[in-house]
Amino acid sequence: MKILIVDDSSTMRRIIGNVVQQLGVKKEDFDEAEDGVVAWDLCQKNKYDVILTDWNMPNMNGLELVKHIRSEGSQHKKTPTLMITTEGGKSEVITALKAGVNNYIVKPFNAPTLKEKLAPFFKK
Amino acid sequence: MSMTQEEIEALMNDTAVDAEENNVDDILADIDGIVDDSDDETNDESELNVDDILAGIDGIVDDSDEEETEDNTTEVNMDDILAGIDGIVDDEPETSSELDSQTTTEEAILPPSTSKEHKIVNQLNEVAEDTEEKASQIFDVLSYILDENEKVIKSNDVSREFIDSQIELLEKLSSKFPNIDIFQENIKKANEAKELTIQTTDIVNEENNKIFEAMEIMQYHDINRQKIERVMSVIKKLTQYLNGIFEDGSNKPEVQVAKHISGDGSETVNEEDIDNLISEFNIGN
Repeated sequence: MKILIVDDSSTMRRIIGNVVQQLGVKKEDFDEAEDGVVAWDLCQKNKYDVILTDWNMPNMNGLELVKHIRSEGSQHKKTPTLMITTEGGKSEVITALKAGVNNYIVKPFNAPTLKEKLAPFFKK
Repeated sequence: MSMTQEEIEALMNDTAVDAEENNVDDILADIDGIVDDSDDETNDESELNVDDILAGIDGIVDDSDEEETEDNTTEVNMDDILAGIDGIVDDEPETSSELDSQTTTEEAILPPSTSKEHKIVNQLNEVAEDTEEKASQIFDVLSYILDENEKVIKSNDVSREFIDSQIELLEKLSSKFPNIDIFQENIKKANEAKELTIQTTDIVNEENNKIFEAMEIMQYHDINRQKIERVMSVIKKLTQYLNGIFEDGSNKPEVQVAKHISGDGSETVNEEDIDNLISEFNIGN
């Protein structure tokens, strides 16, 4: 199980990483990216089983990243992707879902919530 | 507001008149046959006059000597009490400086310089970056505690395994030598030690849960950073708007502005000043 965590806040990446580790993923099995550009670069080089991304980031935001991931020719076209963001508006959730995210988590979240949302992808 | 010297003098004159009147009264009293039936009234009137005068002066508060003494005593007591409380800072000088600043209003309303430490967006950005760095350091500390706790749990597991093997051995020995009490006693002690390791692991696990909770709460750092960024964005847009509204779209070259225009104040010269300057420089004639 290889996971990509994308967030411009290093604290958030570590918090998410901690929860993922609690689910049994080893530290060496998840990569981190601080923006969409770095994440997209990693996506082209590696194959991930799950992608967790923030929305508001410099250079390339999470929504653009999701659109890239879901674009034709992407090896991650069908990779489960979760948006973890402070954007709590209904319109934002709809926009993200239309772009192709599989699930949506509003910050602040608790570990059980993230575990619950990740569980279906971990069973596969 | 305190009384002015004029007001004090006015009051004193009034009292002097009363004193003169009293003298006249004394003289009159010395004269036989003169019956004064207006003494009380006169005194009352004069008292009323003084009260009226006092009432007519703005800001005069009746603070008789007795009350003043009481106030002073209270102040002293309050100072003593305040002095006994840690962390109380005497900010009276600031009040006086406030008053001073009121006298130099022009200086007081001058905005700070536009140096780096006064640039609002710059400062907010520094706050966001600094808290990010500090949050990361706090996370390091929490992660360290988690890692160390993991070591404690593993050591405990090793100890428990050893205790289990000792209990097993002691039970065998106890069943083989039922008359030797020491085996039974040690089985009891070994079970107590095992219980302690279980309790320690439970405590450490509970601590770990609290650390995970703390890590979750640290998400507010990211949320607050984004709130700061939202404020920064508004300020940046406002700056662009203000620049746009104040900018000169005429493309005319900047006009050199006059430094002192007639009527500005004492800085400007009059005809006489000009004549004086000319004669001083020996120009003209």
